[in-house]
Amino acid sequence: MGAITHTPAEKTLIDLLDGAEDWRAAARDAVVRFGLPTKRAEAWKWSDLRRASHGIETAGQAEFRLNGATAADRLTIDADAELELAAEAGISVASIEIDIPAGTRVVLKERYSLAEGAFPTARLEITLGEGAELERVVLCDTPENSIPVVRSRVVVAKQAHYRQATLTFGSKLTRNETHITHAGEGAEVELGGVYLLEEGRHADFTSTVTHTGPGGVTHQLLKGAVAAHAQGVFQGKFKVEQAAQQTDAKMTHRALMLDDRAEIDAKPELEIYADDVQCAHGNALGAIDETALFYMRQRGLSEVKARAMLIESFLAEPLDMISDDVLREELAAILRQRLGAIR
Amino acid sequence: MLKINNLHNKVETQDGEEKVILKGLSLEVPAGEVHAIMGPNGSGKSTLSYVLTGRDGYEVTDGEMEFLGEELGELEPEERAAKGLYLSFQYPVEIPGVPTITFLKEALNAQRTARGEEAMSAPDFMKFIREQAKALGVSMDMLKRPVNVGFSGGEKKRMEILQALILQPKFLILDETDSGLDIDALKTVAEGVNTLRSDDRGMLVITHYQRLLDYIKPDVVHVMANGRIVKSGGPELAHELEAEGYDKFIGEAA
Repeated sequence: MGAITHTPAEKTLIDLLDGAEDWRAAARDAVVRFGLPTKRAEAWKWSDLRRASHGIETAGQAEFRLNGATAADRLTIDADAELELAAEAGISVASIEIDIPAGTRVVLKERYSLAEGAFPTARLEITLGEGAELERVVLCDTPENSIPVVRSRVVVAKQAHYRQATLTFGSKLTRNETHITHAGEGAEVELGGVYLLEEGRHADFTSTVTHTGPGGVTHQLLKGAVAAHAQGVFQGKFKVEQAAQQTDAKMTHRALMLDDRAEIDAKPELEIYADDVQCAHGNALGAIDETALFYMRQRGLSEVKARAMLIESFLAEPLDMISDDVLREELAAILRQRLGAIR
Repeated sequence: MLKINNLHNKVETQDGEEKVILKGLSLEVPAGEVHAIMGPNGSGKSTLSYVLTGRDGYEVTDGEMEFLGEELGELEPEERAAKGLYLSFQYPVEIPGVPTITFLKEALNAQRTARGEEAMSAPDFMKFIREQAKALGVSMDMLKRPVNVGFSGGEKKRMEILQALILQPKFLILDETDSGLDIDALKTVAEGVNTLRSDDRGMLVITHYQRLLDYIKPDVVHVMANGRIVKSGGPELAHELEAEGYDKFIGEAA
């Protein structure tokens, strides 16, 4: 295979990472050899990053902030906190490693503050110690012309509890990857997500949960609603290693096509090497119930209001897993406000 | 109050064919009167209820329908509702995730706003719905549940009447309100309907059987067949139909 011709975005990224070490060096090497991922790569077949990055050519700055201040590359969090990914226009990278010590309980509120034309690639490495509890509530409300690519790796020790609830409105391309190593033995993982995509927006949820020890529980529920000329992508994989007997894992993705011209692509996968497990996945796409819509309008609700109520009632469930009432209501209110504009 | 003249319509069937259902239907219901429409399956009774309330896919091709002096044809379903037109559905729709109380409060206030009235405050609404629910034997617990989800056929029909008591429409269309009801539930529902009878309110009771009309006594009975009213008369007409069947009327319509 001959050398590839790099796009301006790729050249900028290669220059940006010149002389870098660790994961940055590996990332640079991958871009030098293969360029940014295109739809020809299996893992990116519905999210062509190279194509989406056209038009973004300059380097920018990105950083993680903890409770408003620039965060260290590596830190321990043992109390509720706010994490922010901030990125200005252009191509940038950011990274953070977070330890949640054994036995602590943390609610981490995470949000993205991106400028128009921001293309940050962010990496989070999160480790939960034994018996730790982390509730990570992610609000991904980003400008239409931005490209956030966020990859989280989460290591969940035994007896630990990891809960993630994500609310995403998409952008030119939003890629949200979560890769979890699940030790079982009393550990539990809950992955909840909601996406609402207006015309022209794209959001990709890609997750893997690898069960390495026995008796792990995983519950994943992703719900979405997609307008005309918008695209929702779900790639979910549960892997159960041979040692992970009596794993109990359930994956559900349900989405509404708000228009015939909406696109939703889903690939649920189970890869199981243990013989005594309960694993299931369900994937269902549908449209708004026209009969319910008429019923609501007959009672006096406008079409816009009736649709918004139907979509909200469909989408709300994954947010129920947020334990903090104020936080849950905050996200529900943001969702409701965005629904007022959806057609 | 409601004047329908020479109404024609067509619907698109699931296989994309167009089908003519109403073929020159004329009918007039003055304020204060209850009219019944009886007819065999497929005569177009439910279609009439959807055409009057403006459901998508029920296109009027000819004729007029006038409500309180205004032509309905160009109005959206919610505009017709705000003018006071209410349909009690043959099959009330389940809406998961939307509590009945929330739904009714939003609906009532949407109608009031559309009419230029002030929205009802949350405490006033709670007091109002509590009174109406009590009268109909509906528990507050039921009202907190999502609209119609998990309700029995009888409970759903009772909820339809409760919604009418809350929304206080000027005109009610009851589409097969008796279907799926046992005799006790039928009596409760009929009592609710009868409390809504008043000099300034009209009703159109669509039914296949005469049974309901023992409890909701109509002023006029119309027989519908093949998309038209083929005969009108007093309450005795319902008994005549029950005794002799629809055949002779269908013969007249053909």
